[in-house]
Amino acid sequence: MKIWALLAIAVGLVYGALVVAGAAPADTAQSLIQGSLGSAKALEGTMKHFTPLLIAGVAVFFALRAGLFNIGVEGQFTVGAFVCAVVALRMPGWLGLIVGILAAAVAGALWAYPAGWIKAMRGGHEVISTIMLNNIAGQLSTAAVAGPFKDPNQQGTTTASIDPALMLPAIWQDPRISAALLVAVLFVIGIWRWLGRTVPGYELQAAGANPKAATLAGIDAPKVTIRAMAISGAIGGIAGALQVVAYEGRFFAGFSSGYGFDALGVALLAGSNPLILFPSAALFAILAKGSTTIQVMNGVPKGISFVILGLLIVIFAAIRYRKVPVKES
Amino acid sequence: MNLAVRMRGIGKSFGAVRALDEVHLEVEAGTIHALVGENGAGKTTLMRILYGAIHATDGTFEVKGQPAKFRNSAGAIRAGIGMVSQHYSIIPDLSCLDNLMLGAEPGWTIDKRVAEQRATELAQRMGFEFDWSAEASTLSPAGAQKLEILKLLWRKAEIMILDEPTAMLSPADSDALYGSLKQLVADGATVIVVTHRLPEVMQHCRDVTVLRGGKFITAKPVAETNPAELAELIVGHAMPAPSVRSVPDNAEDLLRVVNLTVAGHRGDDAVKSATFALHKGEVVGIAGVDGSGQRELFQALMGTSKLRHGEIILGNWSLHEHSIAERLRMGLRLIPEDRHEEGVIEEWSLELNAALGLQRFPPLAVGTIVNDEARHQAANEMARRFNTKHGGIRQPMSSLSGGNQQRFVAGRALFLTPRLILAFQPARGLDIDATRHVYDGIYEECEKGAGALVVSFDLDELLQFCDRIIVMNGGVVTQPNSRDRAVIGRHMVGVAS
Repeated sequence: MKIWALLAIAVGLVYGALVVAGAAPADTAQSLIQGSLGSAKALEGTMKHFTPLLIAGVAVFFALRAGLFNIGVEGQFTVGAFVCAVVALRMPGWLGLIVGILAAAVAGALWAYPAGWIKAMRGGHEVISTIMLNNIAGQLSTAAVAGPFKDPNQQGTTTASIDPALMLPAIWQDPRISAALLVAVLFVIGIWRWLGRTVPGYELQAAGANPKAATLAGIDAPKVTIRAMAISGAIGGIAGALQVVAYEGRFFAGFSSGYGFDALGVALLAGSNPLILFPSAALFAILAKGSTTIQVMNGVPKGISFVILGLLIVIFAAIRYRKVPVKES
Repeated sequence: MNLAVRMRGIGKSFGAVRALDEVHLEVEAGTIHALVGENGAGKTTLMRILYGAIHATDGTFEVKGQPAKFRNSAGAIRAGIGMVSQHYSIIPDLSCLDNLMLGAEPGWTIDKRVAEQRATELAQRMGFEFDWSAEASTLSPAGAQKLEILKLLWRKAEIMILDEPTAMLSPADSDALYGSLKQLVADGATVIVVTHRLPEVMQHCRDVTVLRGGKFITAKPVAETNPAELAELIVGHAMPAPSVRSVPDNAEDLLRVVNLTVAGHRGDDAVKSATFALHKGEVVGIAGVDGSGQRELFQALMGTSKLRHGEIILGNWSLHEHSIAERLRMGLRLIPEDRHEEGVIEEWSLELNAALGLQRFPPLAVGTIVNDEARHQAANEMARRFNTKHGGIRQPMSSLSGGNQQRFVAGRALFLTPRLILAFQPARGLDIDATRHVYDGIYEECEKGAGALVVSFDLDELLQFCDRIIVMNGGVVTQPNSRDRAVIGRHMVGVAS
């Protein structure tokens, strides 16, 4: 099937989904764009989704290149955010931010490490182990902010808030764009160059694509696997940390609204090209922010954005993973 | 003349590629007919058409005088045609009896006793013996081949197509196989053998059809031709004289393997106290039936499996104390057995694959930075060396045919001054000219001081191209003192004394 045919089906399905939801598709599309990109305020809201989606997308993407399906970014994001919030609250000031972010990277890496080790040394599938680690991260962090790390001055299960003046600065005002976005962009470019230009990057992708051939090429595939998982976890942890120091200012129960899972879609759409992470994360961010608007403006249930996302991912996957015709010998 | 098969003007296109064009085949009932040609000549394609696995673009055919057009293999089987592919379709985890019946079970329920009785009768008719309840994984290559033939008989095939039936067999087993086939033919069956081994054609077949480049070249009784003429018909030009090589007798040792014992995957010793040497400049062939320990020997040399005991010395280095990466740095180069799984990354471009195994060495890398330009040039050079046909080096490896992948992998192995070349079936999927090219390439490196160890299951290939032949049988390495086919054949089955 031709790509255009698939795209036509995608548009048709989205249109159909909106009609079924009882909305005028053209109007809905307009409010979606208005609500996510139409004003400085809307853009700020979209950026708040875009930044974590992009970094978490890098984390998933990186693991995918090493042949690992890291579903655990959600958990790594959560422990990173928690650790960073705790550190930043104890050490107010820019030093606290840096130490907090680094601590989050270490926490994320440690949270991912067991999954990589189990995969490399015991052959246990990383999908299972990372899902379990997600649950542990979610429950433990909730317990922590319900107990020892709870802010006694507040009702909810949350830590205290960082002084807004001491949070990560903005690099642009109106719309306010946090320095976190800069970090995210640097991550994408860094990973792009590292994978494409360095020998370790080449070896990581070889181990991911064909561990047997990689081993015969002198690559220690198990070691590469463990390291890749830990690095992916570290990036996931940093994503969580930046969400704390750039946007939320605190850690609370249920901190991640599923960024780690959405990041799977972000990375899958990017395929093998990290630069596609930009439009891919933007698409998810626009739908996340805009879906609130269409609920208010057009009465379209918020859930429809998930339907649309799901359809898009399936269709794009069908395009991306189509078979290359093989010549007969 | 009573024809069992008559194919007229068969043509087959795969996309833009014309795999077969105006091909004829007439096989007389009750004979063994040889279908010969190089890799890529279209032999297997023609047989798959006869077997109903693929459909011809043009032409018609008759089976036993009846016009035939099979929708699929099931139709061909009903018409009494059976085919054994080059790669056996035996499931190792199932018992021999289950394998025999698979896909042709006697009914919705299976009475194993009745089935076993019928299986035993079939086997006896052929003079075979089977332990029907044993797992098929315990079969030798010869046993597996026999089981495949019984599978055809079980399906009541009267016309049997065997694709390279002796590729995995020792000379003795090959002779025994043809003995059984002759018996089948005497009972009224018809056999078509696809092969590239001319001695077999001359010795055992009655008629021969030659294909070249997808075209029909000739068909004649074997009695009216000779090996030299056949070889010329197959290749399309006179065979050049074999390359003359002289290896100095007193050359120093490049590789010494001393008392090497390696574990097999079942935990037994797959290589048993092997001791041999390879001189500088020498090409040594390792003959033996598949599964005699060649694989494990190569794994030990390459470093993918640990030694139980013994030593591997390359020059002054104790090779076995070093990692795979270090061995590559010392100049070990592998042409692996399974190029899909071990040699290339199929979804990657030729350009990216060019660096696989050489990724850390200059000029492909400068320190830890990839040198794109050098890699690009290297890929082109590797492809050029043995005439890899490709649609651009940015295309994925999977777009290449198996033979072309093999050319590329061989080109890569010889790219950066190898010191020790380990070649596992280097001629796999290659035609006669390309095989000669690859060996010439290996000779060239050997003249610069390298050495090569070649494993092949085709004894004739080793006899033609190797300076010296050692034999593996059941993990034991022996060194026949003669290049006589029969002597080496006896070593291969372990009855040399």
